Amino acid sequence: MVALGSCSTNSNESRGESKAGIMVTDFGGRQLNFDKPAERIVCLIESALSGFFMLGAEGSIVGVSSNVYDDNIFQYYAGLDDRIKNKTLPAPGNWDFVSIENVVSLRPDLVIIWASQTESIKSIELKGIPVYAVMLKSTDDIYKEISDFGMLTGREPRADSLIRYTKAELRKIIDLQDSSLAKKQKVYFMWAQGPLETSGTNSTVNELINFAGAANACNFPDEHLIVNFERVIDWNPDVIVMWYDANKNPEDVKNFPGWSNLKAVKENSVYEFPSVFLADLWTLKFQYAVKLLAKWAYPEVFLNVDLVKERELMLQNLYGKTEGSKQ
Amino acid sequence: MRKKKLFYFILYALPLLVLPASLLIGPSESASFSKILEYLGYLTNPDKTGYSIDFSTLQTILFEVRLPRILLAFLVGGALSVSGAGLQAIFRNPLVSPYILGLSSGAAFGAALSLAWAFLPVQLSAFLFGLLAVAISYAVALNRKNLSIVSLILSGIIVTGIFSALLTIVQFLTDPFKLQSIIHWTMGNLHNTGWQSLQSSYIPILSGVFILFLMRWRLNVLALGDEEAQTSGINPVRGKLIVLVAATLATSAAVAVAGIIGLYGLIVPHFVRMLAGPDNRQAMTLNFVLGGTFLLIIDDFSRTIAGFEIPIGVITMLIGAPIFLYLMKKSNIGWED
Repeated sequence: MVALGSCSTNSNESRGESKAGIMVTDFGGRQLNFDKPAERIVCLIESALSGFFMLGAEGSIVGVSSNVYDDNIFQYYAGLDDRIKNKTLPAPGNWDFVSIENVVSLRPDLVIIWASQTESIKSIELKGIPVYAVMLKSTDDIYKEISDFGMLTGREPRADSLIRYTKAELRKIIDLQDSSLAKKQKVYFMWAQGPLETSGTNSTVNELINFAGAANACNFPDEHLIVNFERVIDWNPDVIVMWYDANKNPEDVKNFPGWSNLKAVKENSVYEFPSVFLADLWTLKFQYAVKLLAKWAYPEVFLNVDLVKERELMLQNLYGKTEGSKQ
Repeated sequence: MRKKKLFYFILYALPLLVLPASLLIGPSESASFSKILEYLGYLTNPDKTGYSIDFSTLQTILFEVRLPRILLAFLVGGALSVSGAGLQAIFRNPLVSPYILGLSSGAAFGAALSLAWAFLPVQLSAFLFGLLAVAISYAVALNRKNLSIVSLILSGIIVTGIFSALLTIVQFLTDPFKLQSIIHWTMGNLHNTGWQSLQSSYIPILSGVFILFLMRWRLNVLALGDEEAQTSGINPVRGKLIVLVAATLATSAAVAVAGIIGLYGLIVPHFVRMLAGPDNRQAMTLNFVLGGTFLLIIDDFSRTIAGFEIPIGVITMLIGAPIFLYLMKKSNIGWED
């Protein structure tokens, strides 16, 4: 077992670089101290893995989430890493189930895992392996995560540069709205679980809609909730945005009970996000989701925003590769 | 005697009150009680010129959203109750529910497969796997043309276990979004109901219920045991098979559109037995009427009690189980005789 440093649960100390080395506090308030950057990381969160690729720290990854090998995102990671392309990078678990034995056998010096996986965290820590637990509720959390990963892998300048770039991209969208938007469009967001599964005002989705200059049709505070058909008819959104769903497309929306009369449906303003990898709300690629939504809600204001070009530029800036060059 | 007739009249008339009342209940401001009254005024007034309000949203909510859901809730509740009553009679066991032969776990596995990999529509997949689970239980239990009730219950338990394990494998392999869909499906809900759901389910539900209704007097004989049934000129194996097929057909179709509504098919037949006694000639109709009405009332709560939808299966458990336990403690539930 290679453990680069001690791991404690003291949540009072601020994160940063300690005199002895690296000191980071995760989302569970767990303080991690390392003498040197992590060299063998098992990352059980697909979105977090993207962060390590953005930092250029993929060489430190020795285990990934099994979700990386899912059909809809495998192609992207295969373009980034030959080990994934050849399916030789081990996947000892995912967001739900973790094989502790397989994690231990990879001899990691750091495991990245969702903070909600408390039982797995306990088991991994009992084996003496430091754990960084993630819980993302806002864009600030996304910035904190990439910043922490930068410190943990010794790539702080790159992390800072990525954050600066993302903030600047979001600023560009906001600046365009400031001068042009007369009326806020009302957006209904639809998760892939079903047409009535949406997010309220205390959610990442709400932030996404606000960044795009629009307003969330769902005015409940819940992060995730199931509403009913008549509630959506009451809201009568201007735009409906679907999370990526391999089994549904925007055409299906008009068949939902009573929805054919919705303004968004009548005006063909129903859109679907592209693959989970490209419009990932839990990574710095959040910016691309904002750009898509802004253009869908205000096509005239964002007339000159070329989404294909924006996507290629984003991938180039974040991963150092464009989509075309990866495939 | 007169009092008894009045009592039954009230019970049978209950849906006539609850069905239209449910149409008036809902979370939407565009279809609030006062707006519906205004709409009724508009409909009944021959002079339409005084009305400037556009009723199209209200009409959409009433007839595209609420009406199919209300009708489906009634049908599903009726189907589960009638099937539960029929199976309790042939199994001669008060602990039997329509899910005893693995139907719910088979349907859940079918739905999960479809939600994870979309090889068939969810409802069709749930329906087919529900039927498959019961067919396996029946085939395993059938021994040289004899059908032992104990073997049938045992094979049902094993088949339930197998399909539950298969469901876990699907859950293990799928992503968080699909897993959440699978879990929501298994909780039982009617919030995605439209005319399409009703169209796809009413024929098998009503066919199953109608066959059980036709079998109502034979159920009384089958409930006495195989020997008594044979003495009365009824083939017990054939009789049980007909009841089993009809109950499975109705329940599979109900589960396919509404998910797993736990305990309902077990509890309502007991309520009915407490009210009307063990005679299935009366009980089958009453199970349909009261089963449908109670589930409709529960669904009214489910869609209006909070700003968000509460899965109906959760409410049937939370409301039904304590009431049932209370009544069980207070009174004879009809099986001790």
